[in-house]
Amino acid sequence: MPSVKKSPKVADVLIIGAGASGSIAAKHLAENGFDVVCLEQGGKVDNSEFWGDKPEWELMSQKRWHPNPNVRDLENDYPVDTSESDVNPLMYNAVGGSTILFAAHWQRFMPSDFRVKTLDGVADDWPITYEDLLPFYEEVDIEMGVSGLGGDPAYPPGKDFPLPPLPIGKIGMKAAEGMNKLGWHWWPGPNAIPSKPYDGRNQCVRRGACLTGCPDRAKASMDHTHWPKALAAGATLITGARVREITVNDEGLASGAIYIDRNGREREQKANVVIMCANGIGTPRLLLLSNTGRDSGGLANSTGLVGKNLMMHPYAAVSGKFDEPLESWLGPAGQTIHSMQWYETDASRGFVRGAKWNVMPSGGPLGMRAAYGGKALEDSWGENLHRNTKKVFGRSFEWGIIAEDLPDETNTVTIDPSLTDSDGIPAPKLTYKNSENTERLIDFHLEKAQEAMAAAGAIETSATRLMRDCGWHLMGTARMGNDPKTSVVNQYGQSHDVPNLYIYDGSVFVTSSGFNPTGTITAIALRSVKNLIANRRNQKVAA
Amino acid sequence: MSTKLDDNLRAVFAGIADFLIPEALGMPSASQVDVHGELADRILGLRPDLREDFMRGLKAAEGKSSEEAAQELNKSDPAALTAIGLVASAGYYMTSKVRELIGYKGQESRPEADPDATPEYVANGMLQQVIDRGAIFKPTPR
Ligand SMILES: Cc1cc2nc3c(=O)[nH]c(=O)nc-3n(C[C@H](O)[C@H](O)[C@H](O)COP(=O)(O)OP(=O)(O)OC[C@H]3O[C@@H](n4cnc5c(N)ncnc54)[C@H](O)[C@@H]3O)c2cc1C
Ligand code: SF4
Repeated sequence: MPSVKKSPKVADVLIIGAGASGSIAAKHLAENGFDVVCLEQGGKVDNSEFWGDKPEWELMSQKRWHPNPNVRDLENDYPVDTSESDVNPLMYNAVGGSTILFAAHWQRFMPSDFRVKTLDGVADDWPITYEDLLPFYEEVDIEMGVSGLGGDPAYPPGKDFPLPPLPIGKIGMKAAEGMNKLGWHWWPGPNAIPSKPYDGRNQCVRRGACLTGCPDRAKASMDHTHWPKALAAGATLITGARVREITVNDEGLASGAIYIDRNGREREQKANVVIMCANGIGTPRLLLLSNTGRDSGGLANSTGLVGKNLMMHPYAAVSGKFDEPLESWLGPAGQTIHSMQWYETDASRGFVRGAKWNVMPSGGPLGMRAAYGGKALEDSWGENLHRNTKKVFGRSFEWGIIAEDLPDETNTVTIDPSLTDSDGIPAPKLTYKNSENTERLIDFHLEKAQEAMAAAGAIETSATRLMRDCGWHLMGTARMGNDPKTSVVNQYGQSHDVPNLYIYDGSVFVTSSGFNPTGTITAIALRSVKNLIANRRNQKVAA
Repeated sequence: MSTKLDDNLRAVFAGIADFLIPEALGMPSASQVDVHGELADRILGLRPDLREDFMRGLKAAEGKSSEEAAQELNKSDPAALTAIGLVASAGYYMTSKVRELIGYKGQESRPEADPDATPEYVANGMLQQVIDRGAIFKPTPR
């Protein structure tokens, strides 16, 4: 048995996970004089490891840089049991977290998203409003270097984005023409991708490989936007550190974490305050494994809500083929335009809430051939291969639909009874089913997106009802709220049960919205960490 | 199981690859761009996860016509055919000859020359139509 080595240092704050939320916390805490340690199970990724600028790009995207950790199966990944889930979770485990692979659509929630109970009679209201978060949205836009155009009528007025919008390309123009014919909303999509050189990063060259890592050091992944500053301000980042458990002292306060290093040694990092930033699956996994082990209710879980209400945004899409070349492999990827035409609830549709739509490029010629095993060979091979490539490649794009899934206590992250990661730590298991509201929502939106494609001039359309590999957004498994009986943390991410334990990642979402969440995850993390910094003197800490 | 791609298996691969990707519609066949040569070795080197299915498929195909082998594998061992098809098509679309023919330079670098220029959809009034329709959000209820 490896012995537990005690690190001499007691950190002011220990952060678990160096992804989107952890990076925000690390930078601000370090810059405000806190002694910060961050434990991250993955390593540092170098931009030269990405394949987007090489001929092998699509080949490597299907394995080494696949967003599903079960497909990638690297040592820094942990397996996830998905046998009872309609959706596969997607993530990346390294410095920068899932932003290494994210598409950088940089969205805000709309005001109604924070008030679904009041407006629609479902789920719960958030303990904060759009207006509470607005200054933090605007501050994070500057930290990330967001490119976009102000004045979108889907939002209340606010400050402009720090950078001008990225080009929307031929596909964006086509889609926008269709929307104008129908009189439907569209707007150039905001992206955390610099349209001009910004804060040490390069201008986006439209490589279109954002989802497999930006080889051009343009995209705003947190390893570039936040870690250099956090490290310069004195933060300690320990990579290859897989946390097994959050430790607790006799008073029930969090006292640090036990992790396993890449030599297989168990180590302990002590701290006065612990912040969980391991994402909507990694955080409940660790909390459920902490305090009293596999069979207990876990840490910070007097409500039993840790791991419940998992939301993952079922993703549907309508693809359209056009009879003209659209160069539809060109980036950013990244979104070109978005639409919130059907976002707000209209009860006459037979469901509540809605979805954001986005247009994205469709990649290279190989991606079109990803799944064909078992089908009639003639359909996709032989002369038809050439015919289909000529017809579709470079001439098609997709309206993607991000469906808002409502919180449901039967959608869960639990601890798998037998599966473990490469360090022997029990792995998470997902139970996730689409609700009837989601099914109806998707049917409605698919019909409307087909209309949008037809109006844009598509000669053929095809619909994907639910992409299984679509769990990009992991939310809800440790929700925030004012009432300690019905929520895990308060509006600043502080555990109701353990006052020196915080959660800053997507776990704290009360509802999912129909938007890509990272703009909101980081704004909430920023609001929370500023509150922690401002109240440092009142913070209860482990002795 | 041996994982070496000897001349014999290479020829079996070339045959199935040509059945899947034939010379047609102005496009070369898979073997005409040498997918069964160094490209196949390179792809299997980069994707060792494909090797087992790929080799199993080729061994089962030995002694059969390419079409018969492909059809049989598709029914009895789709994973093997998928691996063979992926090595063939990945190699095919990586070659500069095929890329030229389909008008694809790869994921190219084409930065916007003037990021501050007024976008076309603003200059031509397209976006104004959206603005003119007014706000579409529900404000925070008070
Ligand atoms: C392919 C893809 C595309 C996406 N596109 C978009 C998009 O366009 N727009 C958008 O808003 N969002 C997008 N997302 C989602 C976005 O990446 C996440 O919302 C965001 O990164 C979540 O931040 P986080 O801090 O909650 O967790 P993450 O960024 O996932 O970071 C969690 C970190 O914790 C570490 N960790 C977990 N467990 C442990 C442990 N036990 N020990 C040590 N370390 C641990 C992980 O290694 C990881 O680095 C995308 C995600 C993916 C995968
Ligand atoms: S489109 Fe831009 S951000 Fe995306 S990979 Fe290319 S250069 Fe990077």
